[in-house]
Amino acid sequence: MDLSFSPSQQLLQQSARAFLQPRCPPERVQEWALDPRGFAADLWKEIATLGWPGLLVPTELGGSGGSVGDALALVEELGRACFPSPFIASAVVATTALAAAGGRRAHALLPALAMGERICALAVLEESGRFDPAGLTLPVVAPGRLTGRKLFVSDAHVATDVIVLGQAAAGPTALLLPMDRAGITARPLDSMTGDKLFELELADVETGPDDLLGAPGGGWALLAPACRLGALARSAEMVGAAQRVLELCVDHARVRVQGGRPIGGYQAIQHACADLFRDVESARWLVWEAAWKLESARPDADAAVAAAKAYGATACLRVARRGHQIMGAIGYSEEHPLHLFHKRILAAGLDMGDAALHLETVARAIGLA
Amino acid sequence: MDFGLSDAEQAFADEVRAFLRAHPPDTFPEDGTDAGYGSGAHSRAFTRALGERGWLSMGWPREHGGQARPMGYLLILLEELAAAGAPFGPLSGCLQVSDSIIRNGSETLQREILPLVARGQATFWQGYSEPDAGSDLLALKTRARLEGDHWVLDGRKIWSSHAGIATHGTVLARTDPASTRNRGLSMLVVDNRLPGMDVRPIKSLTGRVYHYEIFMDGVRVPRDWVLGKPGEGFGQLLKGLDTDRFWGRFYKAPFLRRILGLLVDYVNGARPGDPVARQRLAQAATEVAALHALFLRAAWLIERGMPATGEVSAAKVMADELGQRVLSMGMELLGPYGVLRGGSRWARLRGEIEHQYQTSWGHTLAGGTSEIQRTTIAVRALGLPAEPRPRG
Repeated sequence: MDLSFSPSQQLLQQSARAFLQPRCPPERVQEWALDPRGFAADLWKEIATLGWPGLLVPTELGGSGGSVGDALALVEELGRACFPSPFIASAVVATTALAAAGGRRAHALLPALAMGERICALAVLEESGRFDPAGLTLPVVAPGRLTGRKLFVSDAHVATDVIVLGQAAAGPTALLLPMDRAGITARPLDSMTGDKLFELELADVETGPDDLLGAPGGGWALLAPACRLGALARSAEMVGAAQRVLELCVDHARVRVQGGRPIGGYQAIQHACADLFRDVESARWLVWEAAWKLESARPDADAAVAAAKAYGATACLRVARRGHQIMGAIGYSEEHPLHLFHKRILAAGLDMGDAALHLETVARAIGLA
Repeated sequence: MDFGLSDAEQAFADEVRAFLRAHPPDTFPEDGTDAGYGSGAHSRAFTRALGERGWLSMGWPREHGGQARPMGYLLILLEELAAAGAPFGPLSGCLQVSDSIIRNGSETLQREILPLVARGQATFWQGYSEPDAGSDLLALKTRARLEGDHWVLDGRKIWSSHAGIATHGTVLARTDPASTRNRGLSMLVVDNRLPGMDVRPIKSLTGRVYHYEIFMDGVRVPRDWVLGKPGEGFGQLLKGLDTDRFWGRFYKAPFLRRILGLLVDYVNGARPGDPVARQRLAQAATEVAALHALFLRAAWLIERGMPATGEVSAAKVMADELGQRVLSMGMELLGPYGVLRGGSRWARLRGEIEHQYQTSWGHTLAGGTSEIQRTTIAVRALGLPAEPRPRG
């Protein structure tokens, strides 16, 4: 057992923290959140020069071929800064799916994703809200015509490409489409979390055989491992955000004086802070254990990721909600950063399968009939 | 990042499993109640069997007859024993006291006690709490005064686990009568057979005996049967508490995994597919997995000698509260059968849930209450100011 971070992970953590601290303060996060088309375009360009979007792109395609652990170490820092970006959708999930699919289109897109020049969105969910193959009803034919609707597509306003999952005769099928293909319209959904969600309308969109990503009928099999990594990345992001909530609360409890002493000197507040610490640390090491299982391809990796996501969502939300009680009224105001982290955890917990979905994976893994 | 076992560690895990297959845990006679922490019942025979395999001393330095095996081996041993439901109740006490004796014990203690521990012939109780010194442990009144080559010990300890069937106690006593609070305390090692020792059982709400009250009246303890220097008992206590909280709880996660396994089998048989039971069991499984991960993190810090007080206390709080939730869920899943004691005709799961449900209510009190743990996390790990102590 060795629970230390590798030198490259430590370097990533340190450089990410140093980079984000001055550039991604809560005030800017708030600006981006309030702007319906908010996007940290300047920072996205800068992180591209740092090589972040290319972290999981294979070296021969212009990336740095990093490990799962590298990506998670970085994502935890993104969560800690509440950095709003299509990083997980594009640089983790889409990148992993494209690299697995291979083929001319994927290989053409990956170097551009690594450079940060293009961004790839994911269109999985539909009206049912189900994150499983049974939730896919969009009829897919390629070559042919595509008409239908996908929901909860993140960052469609800045995406240049989109992976669309639908149902073909052969089963779940993935398409890779440029966002500027005629007939594709992205309409914003007004979400309280501040992340940019869209309805993607597909109106008689022409598809060619070249648009197929992977084999017809193999769409879910292609996306599932990428989404599993995405679920783990979202978990690491939640841990980072919850860690920041813990820090905000402890800092506040040290300096906020009531009744003649800091409120952190009262057991009621001390014990609440202790629970935050327990939740953050337990969620964090469950994520890292799952990461190790995923990287070493252990048979229980699926269940471990599911447990990390389900527990992470529950524990980190508990941190945010309890945090409001510790912070008191000031934490209720829009200008205070607490709600940004709370809402980020809320959004991350729902993305890539909610707790109920992942608990079902765990239920099967522990032998429930 | 590597959460896995090395080849040698895996071989050791296999060795422990093979031992447990060849010597099924329920074939060993039990001497004392299973207190529900996951270490099973107190069994002298099983403790001796562990000693015969060299497992009680495998972490010790070679000069003390050990094998200098890294901490990871002990973790494997505890996990495998807990997963099998083995009766290794005294083991964590043996690990803690032997570690203290090796680090801070006199040559006499090392010579007299360590061989007994290695063979599984010495087991220990902790003499910390007193009737008027619980969470405020430093209010203790037990005293020892030096008389020639002996400490003369007078006082009363309570809630000491298995004290009536153990061989020795570690007793915190005030040895400097002029001192107050955390100064002037010493940790004495006391042989239960000494004249003046009176160890009386306390029947617990389970109907069985786990705790004892110990009356010490002029007990003459050899002068060098002290852990650390006289007057340094508080430091010994703090070291002991951190490790006690770790070694006394580490096996709770594999234990709860075993309990969940029983409940999964029960639900599969009695009400397969019940969606509410399904979600509750799965949720509990994620919490047990998180608890285990937190303990591994604490273990990794401890092995490297890094501060782990916050992690250990957090793991203890989580272990004990999660244990209560899991056993409460077990009672609810069993419905009217839940309350039937083991051995009664219609009892389910051999009455284990009933017993462990009851024991779980002591866990958030023992080894420092959950409130004390949370204060410890807040003050020592998060740096929040300590509550002022009232004068008087």
